[in-house]
Amino acid sequence: MRFMMLMIPKGYESAAPDAMPSAEAVAAMMKYNESLKKAGVLLALDGLHPPSTGARVTFPDGKPQVTDGPFSEVKEVLGGYWMIQVRSREEAIEWAKRCPASPNEIIEIRQVQELADFPPDVRKAAAGLTEMQPHARKAS
Amino acid sequence: MRFMIIVKATPESEAGAMPKQELLAAMGKFNEELVAAGIMLAGEGLQPSSKGSARVHFKGDKRTVVDGPFAEAKELVAGFWIWQCKSFEEALEWVKRCPNPHDEEGEIEIRQIFELDDFGSELTPELRASEERLRTELESRQR
Repeated sequence: MRFMMLMIPKGYESAAPDAMPSAEAVAAMMKYNESLKKAGVLLALDGLHPPSTGARVTFPDGKPQVTDGPFSEVKEVLGGYWMIQVRSREEAIEWAKRCPASPNEIIEIRQVQELADFPPDVRKAAAGLTEMQPHARKAS
Repeated sequence: MRFMIIVKATPESEAGAMPKQELLAAMGKFNEELVAAGIMLAGEGLQPSSKGSARVHFKGDKRTVVDGPFAEAKELVAGFWIWQCKSFEEALEWVKRCPNPHDEEGEIEIRQIFELDDFGSELTPELRASEERLRTELESRQR
């Protein structure tokens, strides 16, 4: 099963455009990333620039409407993610607990939808999807 | 530059509503265009937070686990793409062409991904080498 670990750093919603993690924090996180890789569970990972450099597109009447960041009304934003391949939700939680995270951070664990989760007509309509998903190749 | 395109959840997607065939076909076509243009690197959908979901809170050495589902559908992630674009504007143009991912009002967030060069001198040569090794190995596994 694939799970996404979503890193949600509180306060990042209002971080300056040039906000960066310290070398110390990056070093600690790299050690953790290495342990995920050594265990063979890591599929992908990335960190995101602050939302003040991003945008949100909404579709209120079917037409796209663009709002530039920062997004003052939001309570939580994404700081980064890991994609992991594990045997169970419990195993995913165990890995999240080992992360060298700070008190302002939350890691949300979410199961990734696999094609096999869908009924046959949906699977047919989504044919070709797996070839577009480098993360899924090892898992399938 | 790489971007993460985050599709936000809606009350309906959180309730486990599966996309209709029409939307799947439209999204399939959009994905084909992204791949043909060399934009799409990855894309996944997430189960609603009622399935296979939890949150881990950190306080010193203490870890607190809260099981899903979670309220506030609008703040949750329903799916994502990783795109390779020439500029933020290019990513934005592609998002505007995306079929509305839900039958109701929805939102897509665009965020730039940190690349190694963004870290400047904070990233020591040792850390950089270790990060590059990690990524090379991950890529070779996916082939």
